[in-house]
Amino acid sequence: MAAVPAKTRVFVKQLVQLSLVNGRVSSEQVAGVLEYLEKHPPARPQVVLGYYRDLIAAELAKGEARIEHAGPVAPSAVAAIAAAMTRRYGRPVEAVTLPNPALFAGLRVRVADDVFESSVSGQLAALAASC
Amino acid sequence: MSTVLAQIESQIAKLSSTAVRKNTGFITAVADGVAKVNGLSDVMYNEMVAFPGGVIGIALNLGEDEVGCVVLGDVSQLKQGDEVQTTGKLLSVPVGKGLLGRVVDALGNAVDGKGAIDSTTFYPVEKIAPGIMARKSVNQPLFTGIMAIDSMIPIGRGQRELIIGDRGTGKTTIAIDTIINQANINRVGLASGDPAFRPVYSIYVAIGQKNSNIVRTIAALEAAGALEFTCIVAAPAADNPANQYLAPYSGAAIGEWFMENGMDALIVYDDLSKHAVAYRQISLILKRPSGREAYPGDVFYLHSRLLERAARLDGKGSLTALPIIETLAGDVSAYIPTNVISITDGQIFLETDLFNQGIRPAVSVGLSVSRVGSAAQIKATKQVGGKLKGELAQFRELAAFAQFGSDLDAKTKAQLDRGSRIVELFKQPAFNPISIELQAVTIFALQKGYYDGIDIKTVTKTSASIREFFKTRQDALLTEIRTKAALDKDLEAKIVTALNAWKSSAA
Ligand SMILES: Nc1ncnc2c1ncn2[C@@H]1O[C@H](COP(=O)(O)OP(=O)(O)OP(=O)(O)O)[C@@H](O)[C@H]1O
Ligand SMILES: [Mg+2]
Repeated sequence: MAAVPAKTRVFVKQLVQLSLVNGRVSSEQVAGVLEYLEKHPPARPQVVLGYYRDLIAAELAKGEARIEHAGPVAPSAVAAIAAAMTRRYGRPVEAVTLPNPALFAGLRVRVADDVFESSVSGQLAALAASC
Repeated sequence: MSTVLAQIESQIAKLSSTAVRKNTGFITAVADGVAKVNGLSDVMYNEMVAFPGGVIGIALNLGEDEVGCVVLGDVSQLKQGDEVQTTGKLLSVPVGKGLLGRVVDALGNAVDGKGAIDSTTFYPVEKIAPGIMARKSVNQPLFTGIMAIDSMIPIGRGQRELIIGDRGTGKTTIAIDTIINQANINRVGLASGDPAFRPVYSIYVAIGQKNSNIVRTIAALEAAGALEFTCIVAAPAADNPANQYLAPYSGAAIGEWFMENGMDALIVYDDLSKHAVAYRQISLILKRPSGREAYPGDVFYLHSRLLERAARLDGKGSLTALPIIETLAGDVSAYIPTNVISITDGQIFLETDLFNQGIRPAVSVGLSVSRVGSAAQIKATKQVGGKLKGELAQFRELAAFAQFGSDLDAKTKAQLDRGSRIVELFKQPAFNPISIELQAVTIFALQKGYYDGIDIKTVTKTSASIREFFKTRQDALLTEIRTKAALDKDLEAKIVTALNAWKSSAA
């Protein structure tokens, strides 16, 4: 990432702004940006597109609560988490679930670079670190 | 009964099901002890971050979309994509009396094989220096045990006095002598049971030195019985630059504990030239813009925020700093020396020429100053040595002039003779600090002419013999000089009597 020149960063950030509607990534806008880039290819398109992908991924992660779970999760719990995260971050957050048996039991919820840990494996790790 | 237990159980269940929030990121690149991390949007400047495997780092560069962290520990096991977590804590080190007699690394971990550090208190490594209102003027002496310094360039508690000179001119030796002298004073003072006695604890921070040198220093302290009053913070040359960069701040935190708790402490930074080099290395890896001599722009702040932490606090204790700077060919106008000179309260300048002429400690009296000055001297020292600095300066001038070999009048000859006797008198072997009362006697004997008329080459030996005589036979008199701290008619007469006794015993 360090290889992205400052000018390219500014340009790509503007592209990201264009891709958002009401603070959320819009697939139509993204399609439009990609079409534009295809018609008017910038210098070093790989770098531009790569950086664009990273930033869009980060934007998507902001609006997504990835719930990792070991056992079954009730749909009501998923909805509750989505609601809680929406309230916490002040922006719409949708929940997606991913099974992860390595947690043993409990949940781990990731929104962008925040991780909410209440899994057994996480508690065991904390316990191990404290002694 | 069972309902109570059930209540507790449910409380425990609630506790353990509470989610812990962590801010995370992942490594995008690791090189030269620095990890670039993507994410960590909540990280604070200087915050500790946790890498996998218990390795910790410090967030030093907060960029737009990446964070530059220096890694304190084994970089080799980190790889791209590893998860990094914020800890919400600033780096801190254990402090307290449990550190005395110990050798620790920059993070406060014991490295002397004597088991874990006995301490439950932690101080942050970086701390804002005390403000103006909290400070008190420096007027309590801190004796180095080196006659040339205590009589002409006195140091006070809470002062920052720079020791500067070329390679191998005895810089470390002066600092170690001072630490040994504090131990000697502590032992006498604590044994006397005087409630007003304030011991001085020492911290020696070794930055970028060879391990063999550090071992030699520790051995010298141990042999002199000073280790029990000293804590050594070691970041040797083989250590990564991040640890070398941190070590002085860790040492300062350890010293601050003594100061905050009403005690006096002395800290030696050996040396800040190597510290600046370690910081330059980190800055270059972090791609910060570099300026003069390739140092980053904030290299001045690097040392000013460190040295400002030395102070004498109103109603509390003090922290005295002896930073050391190595010069190249005596050039004090290089970037780092000028910076540090401007933020200290004076300097002890050591000269290669003097050192090679056998004048050791090689203190250049003309170029050395202490801006606190005689405010931090006891009266006895002022009485016997008040004029020495002027006399020596005059001697240097005359000696330079006399080299041209012209005929000298009797008065000039006498001045030259006296000057060279003073120079001889101030010669002092390494690791052999002299107590302030013996210094007073030694210089008093000069004023009374006890070194006149003897071969100049024997002055050093003669003065040592006087001290030996007083140490073994005049203990009560020495105690009286120390406690009175000033010479009155009666005391002077007693010293003269003792000196005469020495003379007849030596003859
Ligand atoms: N007062 C002294 N009398 C005799 N020898 C001394 C004296 N002071 C220092 N030396 C000797 O000079 C040598 C260099 O001293 P020291 O290591 O203190 O210098 P330094 O300036 O710290 O060196 P470096 O630049 O390597 O750190 C040592 O071998 C030491 O024993
Ligand atoms: Mg040295």
